[in-house]
Amino acid sequence: MNPLRHDFIQSCLRSASSASPNSNDAQNPEATRKYKYLDVGCGGGIFASSAARLPNTVSVTAIDPTSEVIKYLNCAIEELDSHIEGQGKESFDFVTVFEVVEHIDKPAAFLRQALAHLKPGGWLIGSTIARHPMSYLTTKIVAEAPWPIGVVPPGTHDWNKYVNPSEVREWFAHENHELHTRNVETSDNEGRIEAGDKYGVVRVEGCIYLPLLGWKWAGGTAEYGNFFFGVQKLH
Amino acid sequence: MLSRSASKSSRYICKACRSTINASRKRKFGTNSITLNPTSDDIYDVVTVGGGPVGLALLAALKTSPSTSHLKCLLVESQSLAKQKSWSLPPDAYSNRASSITPTNQSFLEAIEAWRHLDLTRVQPYDEMQVWDAGNAASIQFDWSAEAIKYNAPLRTVATMVENSNLSRGLLRRIEDVGAEESLMSGWNVKGIGNGIDDPEGCNLSTWPVLELQQIGSEGSQNTKQIATRLLIGADGINSPVRTFAGINTNGWDYGRHGVVATLQVESSSDPASPFQNSVSNDDFDSALEDFLSDDPKSSSSSSQPNFENITPSNRATAFQRFLPALGGPIAILPLPNNHASLVWSTTPQIASYLKSLSPSAFTATVNAALRLEQVDIQYLFSLPTTISEPNNTTPHESELTWRLQHTKSTLPSRSPPWITALQPNTIASFPLRLRNATSYIAPRIALAGDAAHTIHPLAGQGLNLGLGDAECLSRTIRYAVEHGMDIGDLMALQGYSGERYAAAVRVSTGVDLLNKVYQISSGDGLVGSLLGAARGLGMRAVGMVPGVREAIMRTVD
Repeated sequence: MNPLRHDFIQSCLRSASSASPNSNDAQNPEATRKYKYLDVGCGGGIFASSAARLPNTVSVTAIDPTSEVIKYLNCAIEELDSHIEGQGKESFDFVTVFEVVEHIDKPAAFLRQALAHLKPGGWLIGSTIARHPMSYLTTKIVAEAPWPIGVVPPGTHDWNKYVNPSEVREWFAHENHELHTRNVETSDNEGRIEAGDKYGVVRVEGCIYLPLLGWKWAGGTAEYGNFFFGVQKLH
Repeated sequence: MLSRSASKSSRYICKACRSTINASRKRKFGTNSITLNPTSDDIYDVVTVGGGPVGLALLAALKTSPSTSHLKCLLVESQSLAKQKSWSLPPDAYSNRASSITPTNQSFLEAIEAWRHLDLTRVQPYDEMQVWDAGNAASIQFDWSAEAIKYNAPLRTVATMVENSNLSRGLLRRIEDVGAEESLMSGWNVKGIGNGIDDPEGCNLSTWPVLELQQIGSEGSQNTKQIATRLLIGADGINSPVRTFAGINTNGWDYGRHGVVATLQVESSSDPASPFQNSVSNDDFDSALEDFLSDDPKSSSSSSQPNFENITPSNRATAFQRFLPALGGPIAILPLPNNHASLVWSTTPQIASYLKSLSPSAFTATVNAALRLEQVDIQYLFSLPTTISEPNNTTPHESELTWRLQHTKSTLPSRSPPWITALQPNTIASFPLRLRNATSYIAPRIALAGDAAHTIHPLAGQGLNLGLGDAECLSRTIRYAVEHGMDIGDLMALQGYSGERYAAAVRVSTGVDLLNKVYQISSGDGLVGSLLGAARGLGMRAVGMVPGVREAIMRTVD
């Protein structure tokens, strides 16, 4: 699935540059921009190491709360601030949460933590699984079946924790609204009311695993199974 | 790169990773035991062994694409690439190593901006292939005329004859163009290949191929170098040392045949007796098209509708191939500019050495005979002594040919092959014909391309084309891996290349091999032989008659 992650990141960047052709980005074309990544829940580092290999990557910070997986930086998102010295808040171009949200008890709080580390203009990119009878079939019954059918140990996933694309969209719309209201209320900030939403349109793309062929994009299946989501922090 | 201090607990290692680790343990050193610890200057992303057209095309492609141009590349070749770059022949002489480049490969060469560095006055696109069989009266013509007439378009090129040196020189010019000349290491031999070591204070190169190179002409250990690479590409020919290092075996067989090549002069096509006279020139075609498109009523005196059905688009050149089942294989005449042609004659080793011993005029007569006489007559020519000359200096071959042309008859294809007038001096050579296919084109941090991966019978002119297809696919595979943050030497990253090219090579080599076998049965004279020959003829006619089959065949080798 890792190549799809890079494809999705590229498509989010392209949608941003086509939406705002006269912005700063025009002077600094994508080809020469350099990026800092924060990979939350990096696991074995498959995405983190592949992002580190890209020619336009400045740095990749990869964290995971599981101690057996990596030794270098073993922490949860809540503790991240104490580990990153001198970087300040809002310092990453990309915060990636691949196959993480479906394992989190309180996804809203988790996402707020992750979003706090994004630079303005940066992207939150993630992938997770939708909560649908079809995904129950594919991810619980088939994927967690015994060998030779199954591919993950039983108990890896909890179907009740799956998050739907519509829920992701609703949550970001809600966040935008909340922040709007708050900004209007606290307009004593030197008249600096930031008009417009904080978060851009949520991009969603479904994908599917085909035996012998691997992971493939499958537009329209986002509501039933695996999907990618991407949101830009506009300011 | 995964952390080296990852836990050593009983973690599950998947099958693919296990085979990677085992494979690199199994790999043998090259010639001697090498302590391999190159400095960081000598660590490369991509090292290609072999500076033939395939290796050069791959380097040019990698350096042309913006995604891969930053990769640190090296190409190692034992012969002098400087000599290749300064290759030059006058317009009336052509190298005897020429290949028939398909339109797809021409597009690839154009995409990597190498095509324009070729001397295009020395290449010959041809629009038609005439194929006929000495064992029967069948013949078939391959061209795109059905499409051309249907769409009122000029003929689509079947293929383009290019001297291999012209191609190599063009690729070297392109490599210089993109500033990648320092990636060329010419005049160096690969003494041995092994694996690197795991340096606790430095890099872990234990899975990385390390080459020991020696500069040619220096003895002992002067001028040796060790280089490590993330991905090692073997474009080093049929006996590929890289393939041996990777522990990859080959399947295949020797055909027991030799390919005799030469450069010939043929009669001029402006000659009234020339076979090219019965086609409409491009100018006539263009003016007919103009008349049709203009609303001028004075044009086209007879009808308002021009009869395009009667105008076949002009043919620039024709390739000819005649199967000679009783004589070991086909003879092919491939067109070159300025009334020249390339000969490729697949035949038995005995006939091959006989042909090489002939004087130029005897040789020329024999080639003309092979294109026009019955097999039994050609066989008679092979029995003639090579040294005796008759009065007025004609060879017995020429006299026999003249006599038999008058008194015997054989089938000719719809367009006659050209009359060979002379042999270009010092261009006769021969090489053994073999079929080889590597059991795998990839291994961890290794990829094979060109003849290192596959060698086929020349009768369909596909060998170099397969190699260029490999270069194109491999450059695309490396580009995908770089764009998706993969380790370009990882077996998973290389699998796309293997899947695409292995199937292609097996398809083409099996097809060509089968074709060769079909045209080798009925090599006898008896009843069975002639029956099988007739059956083959029917087959050939069927291919020609059933609409679309011919176009389908042409598309597979396009």
